[in-house]
Amino acid sequence: MQIREYLIRRLMIFPLIIVGTSIIVFVLSRVGGNPVGIYLEHEMSAEEVAQLEERYGLNEPLPVQYFAWARGVLTGDMGWSGVSAQPVTEALIDRIGATLELAIFAAIVAITLGVGLGTFGGARRDRWPDHMTRVLSISGASMPIFWFAILLLIVFWVNLGWFSTGRSDPTIFESIPHPTNIYTLDAILAGNFKALLDALHHLILPSVTLGFGATAIIARMMRSSLVEELNEDYVDAARAKGLPERLVLRRHARRNALIPTVTVIGLGFGFLLQGTVVVEIIFRWPGLGRWMADAVLRGDQATIMAYVLFTSVLFLTVNLVVDIMYAYLDRRVVLGA
Amino acid sequence: MGRSDRRSSLGFWGVFTLLVVIIAACTGSTTSTTGDTGGDTAATTAPDDTEEPATTDAPDDTPGDTSGGEVKNPGLYVHAADDEPLSLDPAQVAAGEAGETIILQVYERLVEIGPGGPELIPGLSTEVPSVENGLISEDGLTYTFPIREGVVFHDGSELTADVVKFSWDRVLEMDLPESNASFLADQIESTEVDGNNFIVHLEERNAAFLSSVVTSAVASIVSQQAVEENGGVTAGQPNQFMSSNMVGTGPYRLVAWNRGENIQLEVFEDYWGEPAKLDVRIDQVADSDVRALGLQAGDYDSIETDPTFITDLEGAEGVEIYSGDFLLEPVHMGMNMNIPEGGLPPEDTIPLDFFHDVNVRRGFNLAFDYEAFVEGAMAGLGAPIPHYLPQGMLGYDDSLPRFERDLAAAEEAFREAGYWDEGFTMTVLAEEGGIFEIAGLVLADSMAELNPNFHIRVLAVVEAQFDAAHAEDPFPYAAWIKNADPFADPAALFDAYIHPDGEWGSVHGFRNAYADPDRIASLVDEAAVELDQDRRVEIYQELAHILYQDPVWLIPGNERALMAHRSWVQNFQMNPLWPRPSLKFQYFDK
Repeated sequence: MQIREYLIRRLMIFPLIIVGTSIIVFVLSRVGGNPVGIYLEHEMSAEEVAQLEERYGLNEPLPVQYFAWARGVLTGDMGWSGVSAQPVTEALIDRIGATLELAIFAAIVAITLGVGLGTFGGARRDRWPDHMTRVLSISGASMPIFWFAILLLIVFWVNLGWFSTGRSDPTIFESIPHPTNIYTLDAILAGNFKALLDALHHLILPSVTLGFGATAIIARMMRSSLVEELNEDYVDAARAKGLPERLVLRRHARRNALIPTVTVIGLGFGFLLQGTVVVEIIFRWPGLGRWMADAVLRGDQATIMAYVLFTSVLFLTVNLVVDIMYAYLDRRVVLGA
Repeated sequence: MGRSDRRSSLGFWGVFTLLVVIIAACTGSTTSTTGDTGGDTAATTAPDDTEEPATTDAPDDTPGDTSGGEVKNPGLYVHAADDEPLSLDPAQVAAGEAGETIILQVYERLVEIGPGGPELIPGLSTEVPSVENGLISEDGLTYTFPIREGVVFHDGSELTADVVKFSWDRVLEMDLPESNASFLADQIESTEVDGNNFIVHLEERNAAFLSSVVTSAVASIVSQQAVEENGGVTAGQPNQFMSSNMVGTGPYRLVAWNRGENIQLEVFEDYWGEPAKLDVRIDQVADSDVRALGLQAGDYDSIETDPTFITDLEGAEGVEIYSGDFLLEPVHMGMNMNIPEGGLPPEDTIPLDFFHDVNVRRGFNLAFDYEAFVEGAMAGLGAPIPHYLPQGMLGYDDSLPRFERDLAAAEEAFREAGYWDEGFTMTVLAEEGGIFEIAGLVLADSMAELNPNFHIRVLAVVEAQFDAAHAEDPFPYAAWIKNADPFADPAALFDAYIHPDGEWGSVHGFRNAYADPDRIASLVDEAAVELDQDRRVEIYQELAHILYQDPVWLIPGNERALMAHRSWVQNFQMNPLWPRPSLKFQYFDK
């Protein structure tokens, strides 16, 4: 199947999956209790509750509420976020930028470390460098992320004073406009080198924490794929032709070993884009994960619905991109087969 | 891998490490030194004696202890909060909500609660009305507030008596259900302006009108110009601009509210009074470990503190722990005497009139392990209270009777009620994950220890679910646990929590419980309108004795105001009568 045809077919299924997901989540969210709870304050009377239900349309029958919500989504109005005290759409847009920025930098750390360690270990199978990289990558997966984050803060914040939490120095952050809400990009657009450094400075600890956790899976996948590829006949043929080992590894084995690794990276990036609750809470990162955690803990249904819709679209898109990358990396893959 | 691969790999990591170091070096510490800030010795004061609370005297000019290293962020006070406002509009904010904290700094009221305790000081009114100065009429129904001249709002507009009237009328017209508009609506018959005087006519005498109503966030004065230029006033609808922006007359003006990150306040240079010394930033820091680390790193000057992690900070260099007066929001368990037919969870075996019997209510009060709760959940920084007078409240006296654990007396009470042999199962609703859930668990253990056939199920739910259930009338559980609203005067407290026809009296059916509900109603009503404070004290103390015999709440304990801060903060003080975290930043310096 051609990529274009495949894309059209997949895009046609998109809305059906999203509508189905939204209905399931909408129904499930009502099982948890009356969604008006998030808008209530301490010790309200029944009449006051009724007024709020009317304001947010929660006094209507469930199907009416669902269609009102769905209509709102199409017009960019996803309700009022009780946890962030602003329209859900506005809150979502504000937070996507912060999460996207962190996810990209964490992905850079994870891919660099994961692919590097996997290649390094795979090329030295069962020798001490392989064992060392295994220890390093497994430690990333097994170490509780909150513990690692706190450890970094104790060393680099409290003791050395090199870094702090948060996304920025508020004074520098306020000094530039934020058209994209991706601080590094905004700093570049504003041509403000100080703001760019400030953004990078605040990104280091959270992206290392987040990226290190995702490194293990990438490294293990890369290593095992590479070991497999290095045993293939075409590698022997390349060596027989007299190609240096470095080129055999780089041009042949590693490229093919990347194919299954890309799947893991793609899905991993999808998870990073959702925002990582623990990292965002500990590093005070104003992203989606922290927003969602607040919403779940406090029962903010409008926020939960928007988030689920966002992640549904996100994963469908990431899966599609991964499939297409498959076809690019390995011409033997036939899309839609 | 060949040598060149190894070289490139090493090169990559070398460059990466170098970059990290360069960035850290370029943008790292913002520490600045403001001269000699003291020696190396830590000045840590652990709350070793909770019986001797710190004083909350008026601020003086005595410099604070600046030991504990160089002052970070000079000129800026950074407070780490654990909660974020839901609105910054006085007409929308609810009691106890984080928005009140910011409103306290940016807006002003006609009279204010002073820093040294419950006394009132002039705010935008040049005098605190009293019968003696003639600003309260002899019948106690008319209050006159002479409005301060030369006061400007942060948008440059001028304060007048008409603007004051506009502010209060706005609250009444919007009448938002989530707000405390009822504070004004329930009291005021009419308002008028006479020259530069703002005059309020009450529907009936109210001894707590100044301390509970005029000083509350909802009575803050906002800029009429700002409101009219940004959406105006619509009945029943919040003003989106005012929810996120603030235009007041206070010592601080709002610079930015970055949701999920921080709120920035700047010293208002044209403030009519003594200007504040430090700009303020309130960082949102949900995780208590991170707050504690930030305080130790010196990035935060004070942090929202609770007893669960106070031991982590004891002995930390440059950190002091302030343990002052008691808060005015005790943790309490509501007992429902108005349970609807079929309203209880299926696991419950208690009858609907379970709490009608005073022996059951006293039995719970006598069985609860107060010591375990106060020493454990409150880390020793709390105490039980008499019913229903928190420490520091008008009428409070150490000699008033309060419940202590007495298992023999509890057994006698439950035997008298007829539940001792067969036992019971009862569900208590609580908000999950905090001190309220712990209070429920202590109750469950206390009752099981008293009698293994007494089963308490603690149903811990998320905040939204709790609030939704809590607002139901009739309430569909036998009991719930949360904290009381912080009232500055016992009139509002007793009306909400003790009066048989008051807010909770009607929901919980106090008339089904009290031996003499009319007597209690008349005492609460009398104290609410009595202007003679000595007589009021007598009435509240009489009520405390009655309620000891006839309780309608179980009160596990009341917390002290608690705050960890850097020792370089000067004039640090808290007043529990101010909204949490009970701080007015304008008094601080460092």
